[in-house]
Amino acid sequence: MTKLTQWLWGLALLGSAWAALTMGALGLELPFPCREVLWPLPAYLLVSAGCYALGTVGYRVATFHDCEDAARELQSQILEARADLARRGLHF
Amino acid sequence: MATGTDQVVGFGLVAVSLIIFTYYTTWVILLPFIDSQHVIHKYFLPRAYAVLIPLATGLLLLLFVGLFITYVMLKSRRVTKKAQ
Repeated sequence: MTKLTQWLWGLALLGSAWAALTMGALGLELPFPCREVLWPLPAYLLVSAGCYALGTVGYRVATFHDCEDAARELQSQILEARADLARRGLHF
Repeated sequence: MATGTDQVVGFGLVAVSLIIFTYYTTWVILLPFIDSQHVIHKYFLPRAYAVLIPLATGLLLLLFVGLFITYVMLKSRRVTKKAQ
């Protein structure tokens, strides 16, 4: 089974479980607070996944290991290469 | 460690995501268990908005992504037409 089919199966199972519970198809009398938490659950999981993604991206941006010396060296090498190529007739 | 604006932007994103997460978790998960007479309910919109606002935001995001893709495609087609 491919990863896609695995994900779709998982989503279908969880989705049908959620739908069955939310619409009371199983005849279970859940207490009121539990029902109130249950029906926005897909939206909640999507928003939490989005927040997690945003936070992880932000954290990785903030803690990225900059190498300032290597960056400066690279920029000067680029300028050198450009001058060299311009001398040989190749213009950007 | 990253420097300057990178750090500010990065940690800003982390802070924003934490704020949104805690507010939304309180709204969706915790409020139903708190007595409806408690003062904390004053700080939260009616429950239906907990699904409507993310839904509307998601649709807006899709709209912007679609508009951006259309704009880029039109621009690239105009460039190739001018080059011909």
